Amino acid sequence: MGGVEDETEPPKKRPRVSGDFANGLSVVSSEPDSSGDIMAHPLPIEGDKEIVGSKGVIKRVEFVRIITQALYSLGYEKSGACLQEESGVLLQSPVVNLLIHQVLNGKWNESVATLKSIGLLDESIIKSASFLILEQKFFELLDDDKAMDALKTLRMEITPLSTNNARVHQLSQSILSPVKFVHVGSSNCSPIRTKSRAELLEELQKLLPPTLRVPDRRLEQLVEQALILQRDACMFHNSEDNEMSLYKDHQCGRDQIPSRTLQVLEAHKDEVWFLQFSHDGKYLASASNDWTAIIWEVDLHGDFSAKHKLFGHQSPVSYMSWSPDDSQILTCGVEENVRLWDVSSGECLHVYEKAGCGFVSCAWFPDGKSMCLGVNDKSICMWDLEGKELQCLKGQRIRKVSDLEVMNDGKQIIYTYRQASILLLDVEAKVERLIEEDQIITSFSLSRDNRFLLVNLWNQEIHLWNIQGEVKLVAKYKGHKRTRFLIRSCFGGLEEAFIASGSEDSQVHIWHRGTGDLIEALPGHSGIVNCVAWNPANSHMLASASDDHTIRIWGLNDLKMKHRGPANQCNGVHYCNRRGT
Amino acid sequence: MGRLYIQNLAGEKIFKCKFCKVDSASHNDIISKDFRGRFGRAYLFRNVVNISLGPSEDRHLTSGLHTVNDIYCSSCQQIMGWRYEKAYEESEKYKEGLYILEKERMLKDGW
Repeated sequence: MGGVEDETEPPKKRPRVSGDFANGLSVVSSEPDSSGDIMAHPLPIEGDKEIVGSKGVIKRVEFVRIITQALYSLGYEKSGACLQEESGVLLQSPVVNLLIHQVLNGKWNESVATLKSIGLLDESIIKSASFLILEQKFFELLDDDKAMDALKTLRMEITPLSTNNARVHQLSQSILSPVKFVHVGSSNCSPIRTKSRAELLEELQKLLPPTLRVPDRRLEQLVEQALILQRDACMFHNSEDNEMSLYKDHQCGRDQIPSRTLQVLEAHKDEVWFLQFSHDGKYLASASNDWTAIIWEVDLHGDFSAKHKLFGHQSPVSYMSWSPDDSQILTCGVEENVRLWDVSSGECLHVYEKAGCGFVSCAWFPDGKSMCLGVNDKSICMWDLEGKELQCLKGQRIRKVSDLEVMNDGKQIIYTYRQASILLLDVEAKVERLIEEDQIITSFSLSRDNRFLLVNLWNQEIHLWNIQGEVKLVAKYKGHKRTRFLIRSCFGGLEEAFIASGSEDSQVHIWHRGTGDLIEALPGHSGIVNCVAWNPANSHMLASASDDHTIRIWGLNDLKMKHRGPANQCNGVHYCNRRGT
Repeated sequence: MGRLYIQNLAGEKIFKCKFCKVDSASHNDIISKDFRGRFGRAYLFRNVVNISLGPSEDRHLTSGLHTVNDIYCSSCQQIMGWRYEKAYEESEKYKEGLYILEKERMLKDGW
């Protein structure tokens, strides 16, 4: 690498431009005759090629100019000047330099003249730029109390430009009003006040084409773009604190994804069918065929302990919903009643029943005061916490509703309707949107930001739909097994970049949401994995519920090592690919 | 078993499993009512739901030799009827892929 070679060369007086960037320059540094010789003339080597870089898309002149600009913005002016001399590529033409100099020194008329002399500009740019400069002149004259001169400028110089007449009117108004700093508060135009000359330069620069003046901080912008692209392409990126280095393409290791069983929770006496973390990630609720639900507490070390066992249902518990503030939880017995429980005490606060029918699903409204219930008589009703019915949706089209979700705005509800469709209904506006599939939909799951819906299908595919505006199918995930049973999947990980699902082959499947690739199939359970839940507060914690009566908590592979102590220094383990620097 | 996914049928008149009451078939899907099964009258259906298939067997039925699979309710595993996989006489070919549900094994819902 160019960087390593630089270190072994005898120290040079030449400014050391980072060898990693410019492929051309790294060759320069190893030239034997260049030692000690200060930049008197451009060296006849690679540096004279038109195109730089292995892909043949970088123009040398542009490349050198943005490097020069980066040097100047970092404050290395001498280096910047040296580079310009050595490469023979000037950052700015002398005319532009003159213009800048004139603007900074307030030589307005000269600067307007210079503007006109720059060959590359077209009429409209010259006019807009002149307008800006003269406007500045106008304001500075006003500030110096030279109102008459300012007026003259306005009449003789600005108006004939016939540009931006609205602004001209504003300017003339500001002469009349005695207040110097007229902040036009709520209006859309920029405040009528004097800018600093530096600000003027910035605005001028935006008008000039890049061949004349390179946009500010261009190199930093390009590097940031590359880093963001790398991060988005990184399939295992799952940690906030991962710093990105410029030395190597960012690529997280597989060890960022939970893949090891940390704990097996064995408190249920029958199959566990449903799992959900609380919104703050401190509790996990599980529901089982054994007619109970359990609330588990997660402590700081990530260890789970059963906090409350919720007895009372006379039928398997199939669905649950945490209240928006996580203080209460609703549980639904299959075709039975819905119960409201207090999380801290474990008490059953209320039992909701409807004569002659059983409930199938439940969801809270975001205000925490009412809930939406799916009933097996093909209706959906909305009740307040006392059990009073607020609204009831009936109709031919509502089927025996199995899954139900309420969106964060409290206005839209989502439910399965007909075998192969999902309805997104705005209850007040009575606007309906339909997701139509050509396979039976068995379950669905809503992302935390409510922009996406994950739909599980009969044919062993999981489809991702974008539900903002027009519904659009975005991605498909395959690889898990589903033939007879209800399997649930969920979003998870940092910024919900991953999809996890249960499977009839007893493994937990994890896909990368963006690429659709199956990243992990985790063995461990000895029965069908019915449901998975990813901790919203901890992107490294995943829980799975299975027919083998247990719940497994999955975490990172090296977690045990971290616990062993500081001597291990294992924060470095993940990032060893960066240690070489 | 995990949580079985039970399909629900649309329509007014639905036939359900006598034992566990899950939907089996819709009245609209009846092709013929003129069949006899193990337990008496049976209907030929175009489509059934919540059914598991048994192994293929060759059987001599009143209408001739056929390859059939017995069908069971996926929820309670009671035998409901059978499915025609293959018919060996030309006149019977129309039955291939269709299902027989025995009347005695079903409940009527909706009428």
